[in-house]
Amino acid sequence: MLQRIYGMALNTFREAIRDRILIALIVIAIVVMGTAKLVQPVAMGEAEKIIKDLGLSAITLFCVLIAILIGGRIVYREVEKRTIYLILARPVRRGEFILGKYIGLIVVLILSLMVMTVGFYAVLLITRVPITFNLLWAVVMTAFELILLTAVAVLFSTFVTPVGSAVFTFMIYFIGHSTHLLKHLAVMTPLPLIKFISLFLYFILPNLNNFNIRGDVVYGVPLNPQAMVFSALYSLLYTFTLLLIAVIVFDRKDF
Amino acid sequence: MSVASHPIIETVRLSKTYRTGLRMKRVQALVDLNLQVEEGEIFGFLGPNGAGKTTAIKILVGLTKPSRGYAYILGKPPRNPQVKRKVGFLPESPYFYEYLTAQEFLVMAAQISGVPRVDIKHRVKEVLKMVRMEDAANLQMRGFSRGMLQRIGIAQALIHDPKLVILDEPMGGLDPIGRKEFRDIIVGLREQGKTVFFSTHILADVEMICDRVGLIVAGRMVKMGRLKEILTAEVESIDVTLKGASGKIRKALERVAQRALQSGELLMLTVRNEEEVERVMSIAREADVRITAIVPRVKTLEDFFMSQVKGEN
Repeated sequence: MLQRIYGMALNTFREAIRDRILIALIVIAIVVMGTAKLVQPVAMGEAEKIIKDLGLSAITLFCVLIAILIGGRIVYREVEKRTIYLILARPVRRGEFILGKYIGLIVVLILSLMVMTVGFYAVLLITRVPITFNLLWAVVMTAFELILLTAVAVLFSTFVTPVGSAVFTFMIYFIGHSTHLLKHLAVMTPLPLIKFISLFLYFILPNLNNFNIRGDVVYGVPLNPQAMVFSALYSLLYTFTLLLIAVIVFDRKDF
Repeated sequence: MSVASHPIIETVRLSKTYRTGLRMKRVQALVDLNLQVEEGEIFGFLGPNGAGKTTAIKILVGLTKPSRGYAYILGKPPRNPQVKRKVGFLPESPYFYEYLTAQEFLVMAAQISGVPRVDIKHRVKEVLKMVRMEDAANLQMRGFSRGMLQRIGIAQALIHDPKLVILDEPMGGLDPIGRKEFRDIIVGLREQGKTVFFSTHILADVEMICDRVGLIVAGRMVKMGRLKEILTAEVESIDVTLKGASGKIRKALERVAQRALQSGELLMLTVRNEEEVERVMSIAREADVRITAIVPRVKTLEDFFMSQVKGEN
């Protein structure tokens, strides 16, 4: 089983790292971080914080884009291009296929995250901003956010087109960062139906704000290790559930 | 009952219904298809486009579930992983991972087919050699021609040394040289003791290499058997060519024949049997018309195919 998952993951990894979209997004991310140098002279003493915030935000944004754009077509493209025939006619269980594709993409994302982080630290060096390794915690939490978000993209990819998958995953990302508003709406609304829907969405959608500690690390707010461990476990459990649903959906499909 | 006593492929009243379009219209792709393929034979699965060949094959390799009926490979359901280890499959007009090299793709195919890790390198080399693609092993497949892709396709189907090889339209889009090479590979597989089941509508290939054929039309198996049994040596008709027939004589000759074709001085008549040949000869002798050729026509696979397809439609 491990050999089959490894084979699928390696295949996905190789395809993704040779994809021009990936390389383009990494390059653009580093260029965006580099633009921080332009704001340095006009930042009135806030340059350090702006450069750090911009760098960490760019890392998150571009990795999310990779997860959405590549993850959103990862299974669908196999079906559309019929490469799936060459895989599923072999002794590969459909769950192994989904898991292999997912792991391959996660490895690509972690590598992209690492490359962008190296680029970020290079920008800090060039702009002579004091380097603190505390910033890495924000990157680690972004990794857990990507683990979850990629599972969302892979799940959509099993039954909708790449464009649909990208749109839906982005919506989940957007709402996932605004779940506190849903809770707020549930408290404020007098309408029982709206209250029910808001609460339902609040509980069922992932709370992605848990993974955003960029402000804390940039402004030197003490971190809460317990909350971070909880967020990491939350990501893994949510991901497991999403992949399980993806496998169930995929297993019922005829090709 | 031991596994060896089962036919290598068996379907029992295999049926598949799809629902398509907004109105979810039912389309019957397969209707009560019964099929048996014995070990070690080359079986040609014939049928016009849209007859249900690919649907049947997809069920046999576990990509699609039947709506009704059963399919067995070596006595077990096709989706059983143990069964899949013994089956090699080449889909119709296959697509490959174009960013991978041929070697990377074959290594992956070996990994997911259960080839032991220590054997993978050797096996990849062996199949690349078999399909004469050693020189292109390290090239990305996006630059490959149709013929090269088809060769990689057969290489991936054979990477795990399967007992049964299922090929969906393997000769489609190949030039005559490519088709000849493919036929040689298929015959070579039979010599290695493998069973080959392939779908096609190129009848010449079937006549050359198949032991048995099955003809499917509109999702139903209309005929299955040995080629020799289907194509009996029975004479279908006789072509008689005459020179110098004109006027009333020509009309008299044409009345005897089923079909007549005039080309310059030559008149070609198609008659049903020897008695009609005798009558043509007698008219020709009396009118001093020369007979230049008498050619009996035996039934070809194409004749058989066309008559069955027309009959079903």
